[in-house]
Amino acid sequence: MFVAAAAVRAVLAYGPPSVGSPADWPVTTVLLLPAFLLSWLVVVRVPASPIAPALALTATMPALVFTVEDWGASARTSRPWPWASALDAIADGTWPWIFLGFVTLVLLFPDGLLPGRLWRWVWAATPVAAALVTLVVSREGAARTSPTPLRVVLIVVVFGAFLATLLAAASSLVVRYRRGDELTRQRLRWLMAAAVAVPILLAASWLATALGVPGTLAYTWFLVAMLFLVPGAITVAILRHDLFDIDRLLGATVSWLVTTLISASVFAVVVLVVGGYFPDRVGITTAAFVTALVLLPLYHWIHRAIGRLVDPDRTVALARIRAFVRRVRDGEAEPEEIESVLRSALDDPGLRVLLRRPGAELAVPDDAIPLQTGDSVVGALILGTTSARRVRRAREAAVEARLPIEVSRLRLELREALAEVRSSRARLMDEVNAERQRLERDLHDGAQQRLIAIGMRVRSVQYQLSPGVPAYRELDEVVETLEHTVAELRRIAHGVRPSRLDDGLAVALRDLVADSTLPVDLVVPELEVGESAATTVYFTVGEAIANALKHARATRISISVGVTDQVLRAVVRDDGVGGAREGFGLTSLRDRVASVGGEFTVDSPPGAGTSITVEIPCAS
Amino acid sequence: MRIVIGEDSALFREGLSRLLTENGHDVTGTAETADALVDVVRALDPDLTIIDVRMPPTMTDDGARAAATLRAERPDRPILMLSQHIETRNVVGLVGTGGFGYLLKDRVLRVGDFLDAMRRVVDGGSALDPAIVAALVTPTRAGDPLAALSAREREVLALVAEGRSNGAIAAQLVLAERTVESHMRSIFQKLRIADAPDTHRRVLAVLTQLRQ
Repeated sequence: MFVAAAAVRAVLAYGPPSVGSPADWPVTTVLLLPAFLLSWLVVVRVPASPIAPALALTATMPALVFTVEDWGASARTSRPWPWASALDAIADGTWPWIFLGFVTLVLLFPDGLLPGRLWRWVWAATPVAAALVTLVVSREGAARTSPTPLRVVLIVVVFGAFLATLLAAASSLVVRYRRGDELTRQRLRWLMAAAVAVPILLAASWLATALGVPGTLAYTWFLVAMLFLVPGAITVAILRHDLFDIDRLLGATVSWLVTTLISASVFAVVVLVVGGYFPDRVGITTAAFVTALVLLPLYHWIHRAIGRLVDPDRTVALARIRAFVRRVRDGEAEPEEIESVLRSALDDPGLRVLLRRPGAELAVPDDAIPLQTGDSVVGALILGTTSARRVRRAREAAVEARLPIEVSRLRLELREALAEVRSSRARLMDEVNAERQRLERDLHDGAQQRLIAIGMRVRSVQYQLSPGVPAYRELDEVVETLEHTVAELRRIAHGVRPSRLDDGLAVALRDLVADSTLPVDLVVPELEVGESAATTVYFTVGEAIANALKHARATRISISVGVTDQVLRAVVRDDGVGGAREGFGLTSLRDRVASVGGEFTVDSPPGAGTSITVEIPCAS
Repeated sequence: MRIVIGEDSALFREGLSRLLTENGHDVTGTAETADALVDVVRALDPDLTIIDVRMPPTMTDDGARAAATLRAERPDRPILMLSQHIETRNVVGLVGTGGFGYLLKDRVLRVGDFLDAMRRVVDGGSALDPAIVAALVTPTRAGDPLAALSAREREVLALVAEGRSNGAIAAQLVLAERTVESHMRSIFQKLRIADAPDTHRRVLAVLTQLRQ
């Protein structure tokens, strides 16, 4: 039909009637062609969609209307076509039919179904109203009589009815947007973006007119918007609604439009007010200054307001994340809650936050959003439902949520490292305990038993002597020493602290160094410290002395023990060869000290002696 | 007296056996495991059985269990348990009975005391190691009646538990015998024990009761 209409008009234009100027046909046909071609594109890509016929209708109806006008115009030429005068009579009133395609499109967009049963009447009312306009306008034109009051009322009523159907059709978009799901809204936003462009283009053309460009430009812009932008936006909405971030595009467009209008008003008002009192130049300068001053804050404010209006999801989501980050910073929320916050903010219950574990590579799935620190991927956002729009949202959210995500990751790392340290210490202590148990058995069933056996033999020998000889008394002493040794072995083997600790750490240490074959300088005041701290220090000092005797080739040992700031500190220094390495002895001492919450440090530079320091917190 | 020794360490067994023989006793049998010991004692029916607490097969308290078995067969059989370290858990049931002793192994080096202890056990008395008694009379739980005793009373009780008479205790602690008697009355009172002639056994019975 479009092609037929175009052909008929071509004949009318270039054939014998020669209607209008030669340029009219190409211009109008080219203007209508894009909408028609876009409808073909939609047919090819989405054959089932009723949007394609509606799009085609938007191009075909103007083509038909133009044909009727041209056909009628031929009546006023030398070679009129058949019924030309009749068509010429109604031609003035045919323009409302141009809107039939748009109304259909608006009512059916985007899913091809009417928003509700009642909307059928709106659709049916459009051709009726258009027909009434045609009827009234053409009778007006045909009669060419002075308008009677009745006619005026009739015209007003009919035009009002037509305008009402147009507005009703437009309101269907609002209804749809409010009721629609995310996809519908997304598609409607494309249409809205195109619709918003119309007043912008109109404003631009007014400005152009004011600057001296011919007035027809406004009409042309309007046509461009109607015939290029709207069909284009609809095509994109149907085929590639995820093409761009339409929400931000729409938001930005509307914000700039509103900002421009307000700035222009401010400019005009300032010029008007100030210009009344000062020379022109001062007025304009002041206006420019004031406008420049308000422009940016105004834009930001409007942008936020429009963002809330046009794209509430994004605005709300980002605001929630920002609020959460603030709460984390203020210590009111745990950063690990970020996953649930992102889930609810992005309305995606399936969303997961993956964090890289220390020492492990993170396998980021293909459709996940990587989280980076520097060059390394430290985590990923995995979306439950993916769409280009959701991915864009999630990227923005990930940027906003960087702080809590990074903190959670670091805390995770720390926790795992600590857990590893604790479990390794527990393993070590288990080993030490097992070793002690073996040692205890060996001492009881081996050394101790043997010593008693020796003692019994000594007694046997002793009883062969006469009680008067000196050897008899001496053997008594030997047996007594053996008894003490056995008792000491029993205490050690049993894991009980040495009996000398009963009289205090200082006494025990003095006793300990008394056995040393090297000279020892011991500085130790009378101390009141806890059991475990005292035992640990006693054994550590004993072990340090033994090490110095065994490995260090030392000639002198100095020991100082004291309590400062509730820390029991023991330092054992020797003047030996140094270079002590962490072997089993030192490591087990370190574990022993760590098991009572203390610290153990060895400073042993080669050739400069060894210094062992034990620090154990003791609240006494 | 005729003695059977249950002890897995050959060195200790031979040493003890020699020492006892030299002091006029007759070691009629020895055993290295708890099971073998029970058989030997049944066969020989000695005047005294000396048993190591820790013995094969499990090296835990097999000796104590063998002692319980032997006691169940003949309730007045004199038994002297030996141990390398203080271990009260498994022998508590026998502590309060007559003809029972429990000493640390190194007490054998004080040969005179050891022979005295043997004699007391065979005569139906008791001989408990001071270290073991100390562990027994040390209050371990909240509300333990032993906590009510003074240090001196606990000392006296420990000596009583070792099987000493009031006179021996008085000599040991350098006290008048009357003082010891008053301590004893106080102990009975605090532990709520009615007065009766054979004090030793009752105190031991109380100890047993407390530990069970």
